[in-house]
Amino acid sequence: MLAQHIVNGLVQGALYALVAVGLTLVYGILEVINFAHGELYMLGAFALYLLFAWAHLPYGPALLLTVLALAGVGHLLARATMVPHLRRPFESTVLATLAASIILQNGARVAFTATPRQANPPLEDVVVRLGDVVVTGQRLLALGAALLAFAALHLFIRRTRAGKAMRAAAQSKDACAMVGIDVGRVAARAVALGGGLCGLAGAVVAPLYDIFPGIGTMAVFKSFAVVIMGGLGNVPGAMAAAALLGVGESLAGGYVSTTAKDAFGFTLMILVLLVRPQGLFGRRVRV
Amino acid sequence: MIGPARRALLPAAAAAAAALLPLVARSNYLLHILVMTQIYVVLALSLNLILGYAGLLSLAPPAFFGIGAYTSALLALRLGWPFWPALAAAAAAGLLFAAAVGVPSLRLSRHSFVIVTLSFTLLAQLAATNWTDLTRGPMGLPGIPPPALRVPAIGPVRIAGKAGWYELMLAVVVAALLAFAALVRSRLGRAILAVREDEVLARALGIATDRVKLLAFALSGLLGGVAGSCYAHYISFIDPSLFDFYYMENLLIMVVLGGAGTLWGVVAGAAIFNVVPELLRIHPELRAFLYGIALLAAVSVAPGGLAGWVRARRAARAPRPEPA
Repeated sequence: MLAQHIVNGLVQGALYALVAVGLTLVYGILEVINFAHGELYMLGAFALYLLFAWAHLPYGPALLLTVLALAGVGHLLARATMVPHLRRPFESTVLATLAASIILQNGARVAFTATPRQANPPLEDVVVRLGDVVVTGQRLLALGAALLAFAALHLFIRRTRAGKAMRAAAQSKDACAMVGIDVGRVAARAVALGGGLCGLAGAVVAPLYDIFPGIGTMAVFKSFAVVIMGGLGNVPGAMAAAALLGVGESLAGGYVSTTAKDAFGFTLMILVLLVRPQGLFGRRVRV
Repeated sequence: MIGPARRALLPAAAAAAAALLPLVARSNYLLHILVMTQIYVVLALSLNLILGYAGLLSLAPPAFFGIGAYTSALLALRLGWPFWPALAAAAAAGLLFAAAVGVPSLRLSRHSFVIVTLSFTLLAQLAATNWTDLTRGPMGLPGIPPPALRVPAIGPVRIAGKAGWYELMLAVVVAALLAFAALVRSRLGRAILAVREDEVLARALGIATDRVKLLAFALSGLLGGVAGSCYAHYISFIDPSLFDFYYMENLLIMVVLGGAGTLWGVVAGAAIFNVVPELLRIHPELRAFLYGIALLAAVSVAPGGLAGWVRARRAARAPRPEPA
């Protein structure tokens, strides 16, 4: 049973990590919190549902299109709600992204209604047994896709010019302006990257559950806890904290109660803030 | 120049006119909207104090609102407390919980403060949903008694009708507004503003900024508790949906579009966003969608809200002083 809970927790952790990494990346660069980030996950889930279950595209192309579409949405979101507020108190970005979240979530309610939908991805019927542990193919795909995406993200941030610009913006925006790096463009790219990761989460993890317009809210609230625990702006920290939260919730839900499962993340986060306000892994390891 | 006596004249006249309103507005439906507006005014003041004056974004007002509502309801239902003591206890509960959350979280960065206040609201909702021995969970608490007030020379009066509630809430709102106005003009109020404008400078001037922020947050919790208690006794039924993030969104729209950091702007915001949706009667999701667009537009184009816009217009119209 223990191994089963841990595997289930890791899949849940993959969802938290895919959502939280984009959130913490944007924080590391802009020092703003994107309250509309969860809606990118929700839109990703609906994009996959529309492409795969409604337009009957094969699963692979539907997944790729979802990731690309959400990267585009992320770019637009940054241009509309974050770039205009770069030189203003961070509260105005929070309010602007909160407004975007209200618009997207209620727009989805008007367009798709609140009815829960199931995408039924093909790998969900494939059952893999590893000793006592039973996993569906879709869950393995979610784990694998998340790991692959993080490896690609790491290479992107370390090796490409755009990635170096992101690291530079995280260190000093004024210095960026002096050497001709457009911080607004860097920010938009970072949110687009986060959008792509949310799209991936929407395409591989969301089909494990019901899809409805409210799914982004809980995902983003849990991701806030992950981002705080991992250290604001710390990408590897967010990944580790996401795995910790996923496994911890799964164990709390399995051995204590479902209430304990939901309270686990927020209680742990408040404890971390009391004891180590800079997060479990601090801010030293930046983007 | 407007003298202090004339300055007080307009609000006093407005309060008197408001007190006479039930003579004209006889429909219970209209009075219900007005009572809800009054409750929202108190709640909006709670957010306004911390966001508009102290400059800190707190997502906890629904938590203090819910805590106040549950405190008041449980004291009235389980222990038979009358309205005023229950209201006072709800205010104290809001104050104490806000202080307890504020002590650790205000030391953190402003970003962490936002997240901690949000998490506190979510935890409060989890507690209200799952601590079924105390709160009956999702079944909620029905049958919260209306206040029985003792009026001199008349004897006990049971506030039951909408008109009675309207007058009672008017007294609460006027008291809250007067207290709020006195607070922001006091030494503490100026210290709160100084912290908002420049925290480092305020500290250099000898203001204990941590204590000032904590006081502002605790008082905002108190106002939330008062609003929650009034709501519980007015509606007579409460359940964990009180803590929904939905209320926070409405509240932000009222405060930001009305004009955070002003008094009448926020009152106007609460009034407009309670009355207009009832008149428009559109699909609630579509309404929220339009609210979101309004909020985004306000934050992007007019960060001062309605009050800021009016102030800018006045400043543009006022004759420039002659150079001496």
